[in-house]
Amino acid sequence: MKLWQKIFLSSLFLIIAAVNIISVTILNNSHRLLLEREQTHAISEHEFFEASFSNAVVYAKLADEKIALTPNDIRRIASDVVEGSGRTRDSAVFDSEGTLIAVNGMDDVLSRITQSGFIEKIDSSGDNYSASVYETGGAHKLAVGSAITTEGMSYRVVTAVDISEIYAMKKKQTDFVRKVSVISAGAISLVLLVTVLLMLNPLSRLNVYTKAIAGGNYRIRIRERGSLEFRELAQNMNIMAEAVQTNAARLEKIAEDRQTFIANLSHEMKTPLTSILGFADILRIKRQVSDSERAEYAGVIVEETKRLRSLSGKLMGIVAMNGTEMEKKPVSLQAMINETKTALVPLLAKNDVQLECLSQDITISADEELFKSLLYNIIENAVKASPKGESVVLNAAMYQGDAVITITDHGIGMTPEVMKKAFEPFFMADKSRSRKAGGAGLGLALCQKIASLHSAKIEIDSHPNEGTTVFITIPREECL
Amino acid sequence: MINILIIEDDENIAKMITAALSMVDYKGTCRYDGRSGAEEAMKGGYDLILLDIMLPEMNGFEVMEAIKGCGTPVIFLTAMQEVSDKVKGLRLGAEDYIVKPFEALELLARIDVVLRRSNKTQDTITYGDISVNIDRHEITLKGQHVQLTPKEFDVIVYFLQHQNIAVSREQLLSSVWGFEFGGESRTVDIHVQQVRRKLGLKDCLITIPKLGYRLESRDSL
Repeated sequence: MKLWQKIFLSSLFLIIAAVNIISVTILNNSHRLLLEREQTHAISEHEFFEASFSNAVVYAKLADEKIALTPNDIRRIASDVVEGSGRTRDSAVFDSEGTLIAVNGMDDVLSRITQSGFIEKIDSSGDNYSASVYETGGAHKLAVGSAITTEGMSYRVVTAVDISEIYAMKKKQTDFVRKVSVISAGAISLVLLVTVLLMLNPLSRLNVYTKAIAGGNYRIRIRERGSLEFRELAQNMNIMAEAVQTNAARLEKIAEDRQTFIANLSHEMKTPLTSILGFADILRIKRQVSDSERAEYAGVIVEETKRLRSLSGKLMGIVAMNGTEMEKKPVSLQAMINETKTALVPLLAKNDVQLECLSQDITISADEELFKSLLYNIIENAVKASPKGESVVLNAAMYQGDAVITITDHGIGMTPEVMKKAFEPFFMADKSRSRKAGGAGLGLALCQKIASLHSAKIEIDSHPNEGTTVFITIPREECL
Repeated sequence: MINILIIEDDENIAKMITAALSMVDYKGTCRYDGRSGAEEAMKGGYDLILLDIMLPEMNGFEVMEAIKGCGTPVIFLTAMQEVSDKVKGLRLGAEDYIVKPFEALELLARIDVVLRRSNKTQDTITYGDISVNIDRHEITLKGQHVQLTPKEFDVIVYFLQHQNIAVSREQLLSSVWGFEFGGESRTVDIHVQQVRRKLGLKDCLITIPKLGYRLESRDSL
């Protein structure tokens, strides 16, 4: 069952039950009050009847000048009194044995009274009155009984009053209440339905939005309105959608980067493979291959294979860094620079470039091998960019609490567009030139990775034909 | 002589293609970027253009747009393998599409198909006493008609178009019988023997162990 149905039906049930209970209670109460009033009235009438019976006995005594009256006299007197009370009042008199000695009206109520034992229950002391309602043939009668002691004999006097009117009124009122409650239940249910639906309307709106978000439309936001709970829910769902959107975008970016990386990698691998496969195939199928041709073809194969080797080496470097734990320990920057310089000697000699190092005695927390390879790659780039006879200057110093290494060359430099792409994997400013130098376009990407593992930052400042300066900033947290 | 323009930024690949073309006596001219390649193509005089897609200055698709007017057939060479790239290249009017890395023979075979389609190859090939008219499906030995089955005819034509090149049984199978033919290399051997016998090529169409066959060119004998 839906929520609105539950709320609607339970509220409706409670309202109708409450209205009915209240109206029935009120009805019953007023009926009781009416009945009590009738009873008081009936009792006073009864007293009057009693009095007239007693008076009649006294009058009879005086008139007949008798000291005592016989039961027969009493019977006669009773009959007279009963007759005399006329049509207005039903009445009956019983003697002490319960035998009817006089009756007026009463009709079928009389038998009911005698059968129900009403007579026997009448208090013989005469102080109290018994009252009871009897229904006969659709009419309600209130019977009042009492005991009278006269002439040494006890008599039971019963009078009855027609109170059908009260019951008829009760029935009429009950019918009216029933009608009103049916009509009002209809009206209430209508109002209730509209109210419940209006109040729950934001929920269905939220539902629509949630479905849309679940369907992949992360950009939409829910309007935050309605009652407090719905506003809060909408707000939280917006926060959720925001988070989902951000994450989805981030994942998309990662997937895209990976896609680009793989596409570039595949291109970088296929290019040397094409030359290798082609020349190897020619060597295999060509009938006559001259010595010079063979040397040329095989030379290309060797060159391209080296390129593949360099590519796979760099690639392994990047992959390995993703998986392995770093071994960070305090190392002297100066010592690392000196070792790197030693490793660079052959390259420096080949390119006829000087490397000048100025370093303060700084100790940082780093993985020695990784950090040296970072330095090596950046100095290598600087050396390759420098013309013959130039020098590359490395300077390591503390600056505003951070350790800063600058590597400056006076080489070919980079345009702003090239600088922007410099860290992208497989990007090469001059493809044919870097390929000849055995580059794979992964050097700076690798450096970036190493730097980020050390929370360090690499920045480039470069101008075409003027030279390049690379800044490696190691934050104070990593300095010891 | 067939003259082919190679537009490819990797010098080694360009060199390799030139070497492969020289095996079948085609002349290759190299250009290493899109712009100069397009300019060279517009000068005309080429029977076919081999065009790389990832090129500096202008990419292959842009070059293709630029040289549409000159009517020279184009084969794309590329490392990209996505179907959408192939469709894009072919829609721009390329004749074929070769994915790197490729074997030299595959390249030559694709080039032949395109050249034949554009009627750049000779209709008649002569080889010593043998004369073959491809269009008329006729073959004569010392002026006498020789009866060959259609497959035998295709086999000798393939060898004549790839003189001095070692041809494997698989290459013959795929070129003559088609890629979907699931036959055995034994079929190839029988046809080659028939061709040898009928045309008296015992000494010229030689078997190379483990590799296949090679038709020695007349002038080198």
